[in-house]
Amino acid sequence: MADDLVLDGVTKRYGALTPLDRISVTIPGNTYVSLLGPSGSGKTVLLRVIAGFEAPDAGSVRLGGRRLDGMAAHLRGIGFVFQNYALFPHLSVRDNIGFGLASRAVEPVRDPAALRRRVDAMIALVGLEGLGERGVHQISGGQRQRVALARTLVTEPRLVLLDEPLGALDANLRTRMRGELRRIREQLGVTFLHVTGSDTEALAIGDQVIVLDRGTIAQHDLPDTVYNRPNSAQVARFLNCYNIFPGRRDGARFVSEIAAFPLAESVARGDGAGREPAYCIRQDLIEIRAADAPVASGEAALPAEFIASEYSGASIAYFFRTARGETVEVEAHLSHRRPVELEPQRRYTLAWDAGRAVVFA
Amino acid sequence: MEHTITAGTAPSLTAETAPPARPRVSRRSLVPYVLIAPGVIWMLVFLVLPILMMVYVSFWTQTTFAIKPILTTRSWVNFFSSTTYVASLWTTLRIWLIVLAATLVVGYPTALFVGLFVRNKTLSTVLLVLCVIPFWTSFLIRVVAWRPMLGEQGAINIILRSLHLIQHPISALLYTELSVVIGMTQIYCVFMVGPIAFMLSRIDPNIIEAARDLGAGFWRIFARIILPLSMPGVVVGAIFVSVMVLGEFATSAALSGRKVNMLGNIILTQVGSLKWAFAAVVGVVLTIVMGIVVSLFLRIVDLRREL
Repeated sequence: MADDLVLDGVTKRYGALTPLDRISVTIPGNTYVSLLGPSGSGKTVLLRVIAGFEAPDAGSVRLGGRRLDGMAAHLRGIGFVFQNYALFPHLSVRDNIGFGLASRAVEPVRDPAALRRRVDAMIALVGLEGLGERGVHQISGGQRQRVALARTLVTEPRLVLLDEPLGALDANLRTRMRGELRRIREQLGVTFLHVTGSDTEALAIGDQVIVLDRGTIAQHDLPDTVYNRPNSAQVARFLNCYNIFPGRRDGARFVSEIAAFPLAESVARGDGAGREPAYCIRQDLIEIRAADAPVASGEAALPAEFIASEYSGASIAYFFRTARGETVEVEAHLSHRRPVELEPQRRYTLAWDAGRAVVFA
Repeated sequence: MEHTITAGTAPSLTAETAPPARPRVSRRSLVPYVLIAPGVIWMLVFLVLPILMMVYVSFWTQTTFAIKPILTTRSWVNFFSSTTYVASLWTTLRIWLIVLAATLVVGYPTALFVGLFVRNKTLSTVLLVLCVIPFWTSFLIRVVAWRPMLGEQGAINIILRSLHLIQHPISALLYTELSVVIGMTQIYCVFMVGPIAFMLSRIDPNIIEAARDLGAGFWRIFARIILPLSMPGVVVGAIFVSVMVLGEFATSAALSGRKVNMLGNIILTQVGSLKWAFAAVVGVVLTIVMGIVVSLFLRIVDLRREL
């Protein structure tokens, strides 16, 4: 496609650190891509390299076939939404939004009427009607976020980079803004590359999810593939919904320090074998049974001691400790089962369908 | 039923057990006054009273060797009817404007470099300290040091001559208004650099990156973002420089060979010849000029909002 963003071998070093290590990825035009990674994984550096605030030490960045590396940031036609919004503190909402159109080096909008019309249209798109003349300190955090977005979108970039744009908002507003961001992107038909440290946000908002781990791309897939078929134990760890047991494969079994799990025919196997052999089972696929309850064939089981539970409305999290002191988390959705009463310090059997595990071995 | 009972008893219970909250009238309310008292007393005794006294004395009757508290406007009439004194008022204003412009022209780019381009906090502090190094020597030495620099046998003339750029030494460099302006600019520049660099260093680098990302080139960003955000620093720096230059007498005396007479020099000579009433007139004029200048600067930006 014409608006593909293509990174080829992009590398960035700071002294001994290599925040970006030979990143090669193609991000198609007109899509919402979320970039998930823990802090220090290089996600902000990657955005800054694409935007042109940092120069890569090696590799190339192309947008729609045009080479960007070496080009000045203000000529790239890429929008950047900062985590702290970086609004111009001395300008009104309207002047913040109009800044790019009026001040850009390439084809500035000099006609005040045209400028006003385009700014008004953008104010309406992001839902800031009636706030145009306010100072940016006289509006709420969520509204400031919209100003930051509008200020970028009004310049009609083909690619918008969002650096943890929802990080400063409260949880309620964050969920609402996810939908807003998706709606606005669809309406404009541009590409959003949205950096986040939140696994739920990455899965919820992206048409595609890229997982970044220590400067390399660990996985680039559809959200449900990333969720159900992480391709390394590290990716599973970022998703915050897997219990991960290190160990090794032994024939038809996976032997970890705490137990041996049978490997079903249909088990998903990642190729991250050499790096970190591990057995991963999603927290919501585990069933809690009495210590002496039978285990069916095709099921894996693990004895563990109940410690505590945490109620969060629609679901409940149970925490168990294995004989070797590792914590195992079990998530139960209360919509289809009632919360079970468990006795602390008592042993139970945790069982699951062996075919649902994700194994790297 | 149970609900109504608790609803009925609960308020009376709390009313009985919990005494009404007592407003906290404590010694704490005196604390602010205690804190500002020394400053207020100091300012009253050593600033407000002397200023009032100065205004009062300016209307006293001056004879050659004595001064009597008989009110008259003679000294005032003398000041404004004498071309020498009115000229010195204009000289003061002219030198002030030139030095102000010069400190801004020299100081702003310096502050831009120190406050914005140097992102390393340690380095920018070191650079600011470097600006203050001239203040480690005495005022007199700083002023007198300009003589071997600007004089006919001074460094600048020697260099220009050895480069064959001039045949005869330039005598206009020293003991002229130019040398006064050069000396003052050098001394007061740092008071312009400091506040501006401070304001510039407070600008979030993301804001400038955002402007760049939105397509603006350097000069647009400077005019629309950096300059407006640094204005409070410019105003504070301008007030510092103005107040110091308007009251100057030492630099102008030392570097002009007493040819350039600013209001400060007039005050000095009048006090020297015991013309207290006349010196008070010049002092009041100078104070009014400073008051006008400072209030004009404060109109440019709302410092309470910006700082």
